[in-house]
Amino acid sequence: MLATAQRQITEALSIVARDGAVRAGRGLSGLMGQEIVIHVPNVRLGTKSDACDAVGGEEQVVLGAYLSMAGDISGHVMLLFPERRAFECVDLMCGQPIGTTVEADELALSAIGELANIVGSAFVNALGDYAHLVLHPTPPVLLNDMAIALVESVYAEVMAQAGDVLMIDTIFEDHSGETAGLLIVAPDPECISLLARQAA
Amino acid sequence: MSTLVTDQRRVSVGIGQIAVSTDPTDVLVAYGLGSCVGVTFYDPGTRSGGMVHVLLPDSEGRVSDGKEPARYADWGVAALLAELTRRGASRASLVIKVAGGAAVLGPANAEKFKIGARNAEAIKEQLKRLGLRVTAEDLGGTKGRTMELHMAAGRTYVRTAASSPTEL
Repeated sequence: MLATAQRQITEALSIVARDGAVRAGRGLSGLMGQEIVIHVPNVRLGTKSDACDAVGGEEQVVLGAYLSMAGDISGHVMLLFPERRAFECVDLMCGQPIGTTVEADELALSAIGELANIVGSAFVNALGDYAHLVLHPTPPVLLNDMAIALVESVYAEVMAQAGDVLMIDTIFEDHSGETAGLLIVAPDPECISLLARQAA
Repeated sequence: MSTLVTDQRRVSVGIGQIAVSTDPTDVLVAYGLGSCVGVTFYDPGTRSGGMVHVLLPDSEGRVSDGKEPARYADWGVAALLAELTRRGASRASLVIKVAGGAAVLGPANAEKFKIGARNAEAIKEQLKRLGLRVTAEDLGGTKGRTMELHMAAGRTYVRTAASSPTEL
């Protein structure tokens, strides 16, 4: 029952993710003054270890942000980049050569927070529109820690009943190159049946 | 200070898992404890020790199916004590260290969910219930921690993404 609901949600979220990517790309392009295209090649269910592997391993230091979803359903959204990838994103956003940013300084953290705000909100809004739900993203909380510490904390909150979270691989591309991050979406368990029903 | 030597065998203790050892070359490791709590027991007499990586505070009467024997604080602490006493460890001489229980998703979420703080509290309550005393602890805060128990001397170390290992 839960597995069926999860599968339905994964299929629906593939559509939602593409729409969210278009919206986020539009928002980022406006912010950066150049065209940014976001691809979402994969929407998949994964374990805690899969999520950590996708950003370079359990102890990989990642930069990103966390938003919670509120409204008709509640849940968690987390955008994570391995540090080096995060710095590349900052360079893309600031229009400077890749390799310019080398530390998580105030500018880098602020840029990643803004990026997560745009991408996370675009995804939440796309999900709300698709499933006819009223959803509100909270302001992003900046994250800079070991990947597993962040992922396990979301697990502890969600108690993901099937032991899996939804993972959306996210590629950011401008005219000069591309970089990659991971978007993790975890609806609260009590919302899964409603989300599956709305998405069916 | 480096805690790595070449002949060590690192044993990863995943979420909800338990590991015990009497091998002095073992290093038991719980990577990136966020809201989770790691607990180490070490008995200097038998040179046996163990670690649990606890996810949540209370089983509320659920029975473990064995897949995640330390998923809850009450399961984990009881299981670790049982495993070590079964191997001859003296409960009276156990050196007990506790780390983790952070609020890595920010203060606002810590206030909302309190999982890290509740985990820390539940571990201490469970230890007290079993008549065990915490020797040292590193709990709370906003940063993830990696915890290691070096079986060679029974020492426990904690580090964060930004700091080198310190003995607990």
